[in-house]
Amino acid sequence: MKRYAKDYTIEELMATIISREMKKSRNGFIGTGTGGRTYTLAVGIPLAGMSLTRMTTNPDMAILFSYKVNPVIEEMPSPDSLTSPHELMNWRCEANLAYDAIFMMAMRGEIDVGFGSAAQIDKFGNANIVAIGNYKKPKIRLIGCIFQTEHFALFNREILLLDHERRNFVEKVDFISGVGYLEGGDSRREAGLRRGGPDKIITNLAVLGFDEKTKRVKVVSLHPGVKPKMVQENTGFELAIPRDVPRTEPPTVEEVELLRTKIDPRHIMLGPS
Amino acid sequence: MMEKITTLEKASRLVRSGSSIAIGGFTVYRKPMAFVRQLLRDDVRDLTLLGWSSGIDVDMLAGAGGLRRVEVSYVGLDFLGLAPSYRRAVENGELQVIEYTELTSAARFKAGSMGMTFFPAKSLFGSDVLKHNPDIREFKCPFTGEMFHAVPAAKPDVTILHAPMADVYGNVVYLPTSNRNIEWDIPMAECAGKVVVTVEKIVDYNYVLSAPLLVKIPRFKVDAVVELPYGAHPTDHDSYYKMDKEHLRIYAEASRSPEAFKRYLDEYVYGPSDHWEYMEKVGGIKRMMKLRPAGG
Repeated sequence: MKRYAKDYTIEELMATIISREMKKSRNGFIGTGTGGRTYTLAVGIPLAGMSLTRMTTNPDMAILFSYKVNPVIEEMPSPDSLTSPHELMNWRCEANLAYDAIFMMAMRGEIDVGFGSAAQIDKFGNANIVAIGNYKKPKIRLIGCIFQTEHFALFNREILLLDHERRNFVEKVDFISGVGYLEGGDSRREAGLRRGGPDKIITNLAVLGFDEKTKRVKVVSLHPGVKPKMVQENTGFELAIPRDVPRTEPPTVEEVELLRTKIDPRHIMLGPS
Repeated sequence: MMEKITTLEKASRLVRSGSSIAIGGFTVYRKPMAFVRQLLRDDVRDLTLLGWSSGIDVDMLAGAGGLRRVEVSYVGLDFLGLAPSYRRAVENGELQVIEYTELTSAARFKAGSMGMTFFPAKSLFGSDVLKHNPDIREFKCPFTGEMFHAVPAAKPDVTILHAPMADVYGNVVYLPTSNRNIEWDIPMAECAGKVVVTVEKIVDYNYVLSAPLLVKIPRFKVDAVVELPYGAHPTDHDSYYKMDKEHLRIYAEASRSPEAFKRYLDEYVYGPSDHWEYMEKVGGIKRMMKLRPAGG
């Protein structure tokens, strides 16, 4: 019988959700990401989660960390060295691929799962990291599409990690840089995308997915202790919450132990606890 | 054989107001910053910048009013977040952005290096890139009937790179420890009208003859070579030096307001008369010793 942990952080829970999501996946891609919270969401948590997958249920899965294949997780350099390509290059791994090899792997449809975050996501899973407000005269000019468009178009599926706040979950994104299900229904397919797209959105409150027909965002499970009202209040559009919505399965004692002692003993990936 | 070695001041004259340029490196990594500072001192204007993941190079040029148009997939200061001067220029409508994605912005250089007119993209369907980038056209594959998007090949007037080493004839050496993003420096040079490379060190022609595998750009693609140790400062240069985070934080803070940014430029760009005075200004050899990466 499974023994569930009683004491765990939200980041450990999110990493565990990812670990289970990747049970049958061939590989997962993470970018090198940016600083602060975005780094924890788009890089740290997925890296810890996939490392847990490899140690528990799916040792064959390949972690694609930018150009590095399966870096030896116990030997991760210090957080400071993540901004030192020299130290990243020297971090032992199965392969340091060329940047264009990753791009071509994506074009061939060989990247299974991508991880990312966004400034805005809407009720059909469209994502925005380009501009807030009117595009021609933006209130905030953000970074630009970077690899998000390819994640959403060319990978088999995308898993997003976001802090659950109203300003992030909007009725309609101001710029579609990651193409979700556009206007819902068949519109993604009609626009020319035959595969892929957002599959799950993992937040600090819940796991979200998409209705099979309407393609609207729905709640898949609520994290332990989270009330449906709390999730709706922090979402800027009307959420489908099934009446008998399940609870997110908490991490087991063994999973928390692996995360704390083997994968992230220095709190680089999952933040200070 | 013709020598390509020259001074920063002479090399920068290859770029004129109105030129299109491409700058190698990645965000705050291996950027030819000494050359960018020289462009500012030359007061070059109305540039079109072609890039993939751009950073402090674009932010500095945007803040100094040197850019008319950028064609990029990312402009940011990496771990320091958004690029403030770039952001201000775009929000004020002073700088035109032609949106690309990371794959298409980089592959444009490859299409140019192949002598092709476009790169066939399949990642753009449904995205607002198609709404706002007027240079992309849809086309049908003559074999399968599938639809794709033709992304125009990049053909910059001048490409500027910073690399580990070169000989006086312009054979450019990258190291096996150079970050893998050098993959895009190479097509960026191959597709350009003119190529300028600044290097940490000029090596003897015999070095090149004994280590030809390390030459990634041959001399006949290169128009000017300038020896500029720490020429990428304050950005990172792989095994040579880490990024100068303290200086980058000073830069990012200054970039947040036009007044502070002008003071930054006066102090670090217009004030020093050349690269050597700049190096003294930012702490000289003592400071550079602190930037040596761990692991040798």
